[in-house]
Amino acid sequence: MPNDHDKAVYPEPPRQTPAVDKQTALPNPALILTKLFYYTVDLPVTTFRDTIDSIRSKNKLVYYHQKFRRVPYLTECQEGDFTCYYEADMQWRRDYKVDQEIVKVVQERMKACQQREGHSYQQNCTKEIQQFNEVTKNFQSRYGDLGAYANAKKCLMKQKERMMAAQAQSA
Amino acid sequence: MVGMSLLRSAAAFAARLGPLKAGNNAANILARTIPRTNKVATRWGHGKKMFVVKPTNYYDRRFLHLLRYYILLTGIPVAVLVTAVNIFIGEAELAEIPEGYEPEHWEYYKHPITRWIVRNIYDSPVKDYEKVLAAIQIEQEKGDMRLMQLEVRRQMRHHGDGPWFHVATPDKGLIDNSPKSSPDN
Repeated sequence: MPNDHDKAVYPEPPRQTPAVDKQTALPNPALILTKLFYYTVDLPVTTFRDTIDSIRSKNKLVYYHQKFRRVPYLTECQEGDFTCYYEADMQWRRDYKVDQEIVKVVQERMKACQQREGHSYQQNCTKEIQQFNEVTKNFQSRYGDLGAYANAKKCLMKQKERMMAAQAQSA
Repeated sequence: MVGMSLLRSAAAFAARLGPLKAGNNAANILARTIPRTNKVATRWGHGKKMFVVKPTNYYDRRFLHLLRYYILLTGIPVAVLVTAVNIFIGEAELAEIPEGYEPEHWEYYKHPITRWIVRNIYDSPVKDYEKVLAAIQIEQEKGDMRLMQLEVRRQMRHHGDGPWFHVATPDKGLIDNSPKSSPDN
């Protein structure tokens, strides 16, 4: 069966099912329905999955996540060296994708926390909310309004504007 | 009684007028009533067979038949292939890259058909990257050459001693000095 999610990152709240306290001799319809569901849906699906897995387990294929080498950034390129510009741009694009995924993961954690806590989420999830706010603020300041045709040069110019604004503010 | 004999003679006369028509027998004309043609069927079965006049659906049925045929001609083999691959080979699982091992470029994909396509049909991403870098380098060299050519032109024109700005003069051995060689002429 496929792996479950990471229980350390997305903790489950403690189960609150009460102890069985039958006071009637009548059968419990909920129990009947769960057993019906189990025998009609759960068991066939699980056996099907297990048979397919046993057929598949003879040739197991593996895949990896690619690790890219770091190349010089746009600021370390000679002027007029377009191949260096291209490599720096590709590296910037890969980093942009990685940053987008980071924001998505942090957002997922905050959503899971809110779902878990219910109505008291503002008080119990402060760490997740604070992390999310920080990550999104940084993402916005770095990649914010670059648009669909963003590239490394535009991002560098945005950084220059940020630094100029910070310097003008501090002066 | 007399009327009856009169009628009977009139029926015989009418029968003689059209003797070949069926039912014009003298006896028949007198006793003729509305003929009941459905008297023969004693039980109602499917009813009378009707010839329903409607426009042809030959072309529509032919079209749909051919459509199904040509879609399923390649559709069924592809579906069988994809099902077989998914059942017998199955998708890859994520693993850490072992130490000192560099995976081939197709080992970065999950589905076996994608892996096959990337391995046999597509170029590796390293090759694509290098192709783009080569194109960029060629264009860069072209641009640099053009700029250098303009600069060289400028310098040669400015200093006046560049080979591009030499004007060809005739050879000095061709000059005929004989008119000027004797002073008093």
